[in-house]
Amino acid sequence: MSDQSRSDSALRKFFTDLTRAPRRIYEAAFRSGAPVTDRTRSGFVFNNVFLHLHPVRTHRWSLRWTTTLGLGMASTAAFLIALVTGVLLMFYYKPYPDVAYNSIKDIHFVVPTGRFIRNIHRWSANLMVLMVMLHMVRAFYTSAYRTPREFNWLVGMGLLVVTLGLSFTGYLLPWDQLAYWAITIGANIAQSPRELTDALGVTSVVDVGGLQRQLLLGSDTVGEEALIRFYLLHVMILPLLIGVLMAVHFWRIRKDGGLTRPADADERLEPRRPDVYPVFTEAPQKTYQLAAIVRGRSSAVGRGPENTVPSMPHLFYAELGVLMVTTLVCLALSLAADAPLKELANPGVPENPAKAPWYFLGLQELVSYSAFMGGVGLPAIAVIGLGLIPFLDREQLGSGAWFGGPGGRWLAFRSAAFGLGLTLAIEVFAIRFGWIREWYPHVPQLVITVINPGTILALGYAAYSLWLVKRYNSARSGAMGLFTCAMCGFVVLTVIGTYFRGPNWGFFWSPADWPTH
Amino acid sequence: MKKNKYLLLISSLGVSALLLAAAVDENYLRGWRRVQNSVFGANDVRLRQIVVPAMRTTDRCVSCHVGMMPGETPVAKHRLASAHPRVPHDPAQFGCTSCHGGQGRATERADAHGDTEFWPEPMLPRQFASAGCGTCHSHVQVPDLASMQQSQRQLERADCLACHRIDGRGGTQRPGGQGGMEGPDLSKIGAAGWKADWFARHLERQQTDKDGVWKASFRELDPSQRSDIEKYLITRVGAPDLVEAKALFHSLGCRGCHKIRGVGGDDGPDLTRVGMRDVHRLDCSNVPGEHTLPNWLAAHFRWPAKIVAGSKMPVLGLTESQIDRLTLYMLSLRDSQFPEAFWPGDRLRIERLGDREFADNGVTLYRTFCAACHGDRGEGRRYPDNVPFPAIANPDFLAVADDAFLIRSITDGRPGRRMPAWNKNSGGLNDEEIARIVQYLRGLSGTAAPVGQRAEHRWVQADAAAGKRRFAAMCAGCHGANGEGTQAPALHNASLLAAATDSFFVETIRRGRKGTAMPGFSGASTSYPALTQQEIESVVAYIRIWEDKGR
Repeated sequence: MSDQSRSDSALRKFFTDLTRAPRRIYEAAFRSGAPVTDRTRSGFVFNNVFLHLHPVRTHRWSLRWTTTLGLGMASTAAFLIALVTGVLLMFYYKPYPDVAYNSIKDIHFVVPTGRFIRNIHRWSANLMVLMVMLHMVRAFYTSAYRTPREFNWLVGMGLLVVTLGLSFTGYLLPWDQLAYWAITIGANIAQSPRELTDALGVTSVVDVGGLQRQLLLGSDTVGEEALIRFYLLHVMILPLLIGVLMAVHFWRIRKDGGLTRPADADERLEPRRPDVYPVFTEAPQKTYQLAAIVRGRSSAVGRGPENTVPSMPHLFYAELGVLMVTTLVCLALSLAADAPLKELANPGVPENPAKAPWYFLGLQELVSYSAFMGGVGLPAIAVIGLGLIPFLDREQLGSGAWFGGPGGRWLAFRSAAFGLGLTLAIEVFAIRFGWIREWYPHVPQLVITVINPGTILALGYAAYSLWLVKRYNSARSGAMGLFTCAMCGFVVLTVIGTYFRGPNWGFFWSPADWPTH
Repeated sequence: MKKNKYLLLISSLGVSALLLAAAVDENYLRGWRRVQNSVFGANDVRLRQIVVPAMRTTDRCVSCHVGMMPGETPVAKHRLASAHPRVPHDPAQFGCTSCHGGQGRATERADAHGDTEFWPEPMLPRQFASAGCGTCHSHVQVPDLASMQQSQRQLERADCLACHRIDGRGGTQRPGGQGGMEGPDLSKIGAAGWKADWFARHLERQQTDKDGVWKASFRELDPSQRSDIEKYLITRVGAPDLVEAKALFHSLGCRGCHKIRGVGGDDGPDLTRVGMRDVHRLDCSNVPGEHTLPNWLAAHFRWPAKIVAGSKMPVLGLTESQIDRLTLYMLSLRDSQFPEAFWPGDRLRIERLGDREFADNGVTLYRTFCAACHGDRGEGRRYPDNVPFPAIANPDFLAVADDAFLIRSITDGRPGRRMPAWNKNSGGLNDEEIARIVQYLRGLSGTAAPVGQRAEHRWVQADAAAGKRRFAAMCAGCHGANGEGTQAPALHNASLLAAATDSFFVETIRRGRKGTAMPGFSGASTSYPALTQQEIESVVAYIRIWEDKGR
């Protein structure tokens, strides 16, 4: 009888467990329970491998739309959209010359929703480049690079470079005329150090440019080696790299005490709602965590009563909102305009003009004056300059506020006027009157490498910025002037390269004026 | 934080709406789906395509032109669902784009027909459909148009059409409801070939015939009639309009300047692949109407220099119908990249066995290669902005020019002038063909080759200084002070000096060329006194100085 009841109860227990299994699987996966109290909401975040890159609580300042404009999240969203659509495209794409082109044609014409997915991929990629750039602009103008966020600024620059790399490597894959010649131009830009080594007469010994080009293409011309190389970079190496960098970037935000905010953020916020529980009621003098064994101060030490809310759900609504808006924009653009696909790549018929992807057209414009300066010199100076900003601007005034620091909004506006004016003036001059090579055909190339519109622009910006440092007695003001000028220069050169350059890189008001032969 | 919730809600609704729109567009609004829906009903809408791996074609044209899909039942008279007309090449085996051009992978009208900016090979328009044959075929031994029409008349005079049908004409139904024709249809006999003893067999049938049909409609033919008939039959390959266009091309002398598959002059562009040129890369600013390749070609035939700036091609004054035919032939010059296993016999014969696209008789050769400059009957031509081209059938010329001179002139051309060299390495003609052209030239004037000339190439011994003075006074006006030839042939041309004998020069100066600006100097004219033999020889001695200088 007891045996009977024991087996009876074991059987009953088995079925009870079976019915409870789904719930238990859920509880095993999500240990902290439904996020209904501040405690379980915190657990919801730090018990989740994906969410724990976020802070558990978010400052209310960070959730204001004007703080970030959602640009960082929009970049991430664009990346995620490109990731998903990219994986879908990989089911049909075949990375081999000519076959690749046909597979894109098939994706366009017969793969169910293939055209739509490819359009989304293309638009999200472009959007990502744009958002990453705007995100950097936002971070600069709100001084978000300042201590302790210097390293995250550098990681962000790494992300910008990898983003451009992802977009550029994806450009070749359709294997049409547009792709082929844009990559040929890109590879020539990679080869541009040769201008300097040629001028110095040492190319036969040290050919950095040629080596870079060979590394990029795996051959002397764009061909099957280049295609497989670009494909591998595009679908594996760069996505992995950007994933790692993104994780570091997000984690660093948490470790650096959330987003930057003005010192008076708490006063400027409207009063906290009564149901939001403050974590700190007075400023902590020390915090107990791993910080016990970590040198330096925790980011919470010395901060006043916190105006934070649980990230779940407040931050996640905001993030999901931006994700969906980005998706909406991508879908709308994809329905409105197809991704371009020209004729099959033909090495015998050069496109004229052959243009690099749009974000490199500013560089191509500079390359047209001096390959070395446009392709290597000035980009290197720009990257080094950007990287140095957080280490030269050690001030605190105006952190976290838009256009904070001496000079403020007015200075940014004036620098923009100066930057636009100088860039346009030099471009107009060079387009109208030509440059040294047109006046003195036999001048050594080294002279042009040193004196060309690009270097003159860079010098002009630098002089202006140094003057600002002196005038405002502030490195931040100088940085603001330099950054604003550089951005204006980028925009002007990119617009000229995109819309006003025609065959043989001549200046034309509109493509309708291009000669047909 | 309500704002963010609403942002999420509204954007999610927006995304759902757009996804729905995309799904509707994808599943219901695509043109080919709507076509199939109306023809087959909603349950049989699927992508239809003809894939020929060996020819590397994937043709989805049949997704709209569903009646042409192998295995489908066509709907008669339907705009899209009707069957493909009966053609020698089954679409199921050859696909669509191999003949018609266009973009086979596309599933939308404009893309598929190639009417988009980024598709270099649009579909051939319906009126030029037979140009598609040129993708693989290059018909052999096509004569000039007049010869072809003459041999066609010969065939009709011999009453072949009483029994045989050719290109939809002729043929007799068997009486008594037996059905069928008396004789086989000969429209494609040129491609299929015929038995060499056809005439003997016909004759035998006629002699053994009992019911009178053969007796009435067949009679003995002499060998020249038979060869004329065969010349016509070899051109019957199932594409009469294309062959006629090619025959017209072989009548106008276009190949004097243009090469096709290595045979022709060098002055104009090579035309071997002209039918596949990407119209987007051509200057269409002066082309009236739509900017398509056929329109570009037609406009170019009307006014060459207006379409191609700086073109040296003369205005030929062609009729509209000639322009249409030439455009058709140009479009047929496609020279596909299909694997050699797919090449038809005619193309193999031309590219591998050295057969010719043009007939090998003198008249066709002359008209194909020489007529544009030297005139249809050797009368010479004068185009604006060009040095006049010599009248090579002029009896005075042929009376002094021996065959060696003519052959050498054709073989080596006149470097520096517009006359190309026609030897195997340049113009691509062989010795036999050049000899036939010379023979034809002799026939044009009815003048026999000169006899009794001195055997030596150079024999003149006279005072060149005196010759120089006479040349400056009497010859330089047309031939140029240094013999460079302003209005008349260039006399300092090394090729001419090498080919011409002293007898040729002396005789030419003595006789002149009637009908041209070149007077005979044996008698006095209103402007020149008569020259003695010695004086003529002195001029020749002076001319020879250029040859010695050139060495």
